[in-house]
Amino acid sequence: MLNYIRAEIYKLLRRPYTYIALGVMLALEGLYASMFAFHNAHSMATPFGGAIVTIIEMGAIGFCTCLLTGDIVFAGQYKNSTLKNEVSFGLSRTQVYLGKFITQTLLSIAYLLVMMGFFLGLCAVCLPMEPSAGFYSAHEGLVIVGYFLAVGLPLWIAAQAAACMCLFLVHGEMAGSFLYVGLVFVLDTVLEVAGMLIGGGAGALLLKVIQYFPMRMLNAAKTVVGDMGYLGKAWLVGAFWVAVCTAAGLYGFHRKEIK
Amino acid sequence: MAENTAVLATYGLQKAYGACMALDGANMMVRRGDIYGLVGRNGAGKTTLMRMVTGQSQPTGGEMELFGASGKNMRPQRRRTGAMIEIPSFSPFLTARENLEYYRLQRGIPGKQTVDEVLELVDLAGTEKKKFKAFSLGMKQRLGLALALMNHPDFLILDEPINGLDPEGVAEFRHLLRQLNQERQTTILISSHILSELSAIATRYGFMEQGRILEEISAQALHDKCRTCLRLEVDDASRAAAILQTELGTDKFEVLPGNVIQLYDCLDDPKRASYALAQNGVALLAMEQKGANLEAYFLNLIGGGRHA
Repeated sequence: MLNYIRAEIYKLLRRPYTYIALGVMLALEGLYASMFAFHNAHSMATPFGGAIVTIIEMGAIGFCTCLLTGDIVFAGQYKNSTLKNEVSFGLSRTQVYLGKFITQTLLSIAYLLVMMGFFLGLCAVCLPMEPSAGFYSAHEGLVIVGYFLAVGLPLWIAAQAAACMCLFLVHGEMAGSFLYVGLVFVLDTVLEVAGMLIGGGAGALLLKVIQYFPMRMLNAAKTVVGDMGYLGKAWLVGAFWVAVCTAAGLYGFHRKEIK
Repeated sequence: MAENTAVLATYGLQKAYGACMALDGANMMVRRGDIYGLVGRNGAGKTTLMRMVTGQSQPTGGEMELFGASGKNMRPQRRRTGAMIEIPSFSPFLTARENLEYYRLQRGIPGKQTVDEVLELVDLAGTEKKKFKAFSLGMKQRLGLALALMNHPDFLILDEPINGLDPEGVAEFRHLLRQLNQERQTTILISSHILSELSAIATRYGFMEQGRILEEISAQALHDKCRTCLRLEVDDASRAAAILQTELGTDKFEVLPGNVIQLYDCLDDPKRASYALAQNGVALLAMEQKGANLEAYFLNLIGGGRHA
């Protein structure tokens, strides 16, 4: 497995897509941070702490990035038929699947670290560190962001498992991406509407179930900052999603014809 | 293992896609040291069979053994094989060296020089900066072969490997396969539509049609069956045989059922044979010169005039 992951990382580092995607994300972050600096130069002064906590409103970007990192690692596997080279050498399909999933997760974490480091660094350089009235101090801001990331990490990994499953199970990457979007961004809303329409015990059950969808859990984390019970629940839910998506992905991939 | 020397054996192997039987009880045996030429026309099931041996597809019936292992135990044995099935497939944004290095790392093959050695072997050493997406079909075939050879396989599985190669490349490829077979005792299973090329290297053949192996035959036996002869139909084959021995002084003939003799002598002067038989009271009912090559033999076997 280590050899497999090493090889995947070797390929990632030689893929222009890896750097272009990160470059675009960092450029957008730079734009976002410079907006505060520009705003500060003209009117009120948003301090470091006040600026960094705004990222808790952007949890969805993490879920979008999971699809991106999934695609970077997996892109072209079906289109270029490269999986046959791996299977015909005797690598197990489980190894192939898990190897790609772990590499996607490592890439996501690397992206997260670079993006967070870049954003925090840029804010630290461009914005005043002193607290101002109505804003969080730098320390408070870092605590909130840290908690948000701690809750978000297992949920993003869960989304990564979902992305991996979708890309492995569906031949076209576009179709796989649609399936992922449906699963992570749309299904909970559909179930919510269904739950409200159905009502009764079944409806209540659906409304209960949607609370355990990764994006819902991450959004809810904003209101419970510092709640360690919720943090633990996020890791459990994340682990559950990883287990279910990986099991489903492996089951489907084992039955798939490789062409 | 079915036989001590069997590298690959299939027993009634089947593959159904819905109502279509791509493989319909294929029985074949590739022995250690063979260059096994798999001959069949489009859709006969050659690629399907190779895809099953390499684990890309699962059979719906029958059994197979690879190096004596069957079922799930076959997977580790695949590490002893090298395969090139259908069009060679690689990451388009990587060069030949990078693609091979990727697979070297993935397969845990020691020694970075392995990549250079194998690139040298397939004559792709001078393509450092060219990405795979810019390769010609011939270069892609060479890279596919390089990957198949990288782990020094005991068993090489090649599906239409000379497609896209120029004449020089075909000759080099033929030489390389012979060399691997003779020097490293690599067993080779190869399919090709270019039967003349196949006949230049194969030591054993399997003829495939409609998902079945119709016949397996050694190159020597095929050569004997195909060699030019005079086919004599007589009223008494045993007497005719004695006359050929005494009058013409030859024993280069075969007596076949139905009072037929295949004579491999007197080809430049058939009158000698007919005269000797007539002189000794044997009626010659028919005489024709006969001979075939691999293509003719195959077409005759499948009973049609369509090409492989």
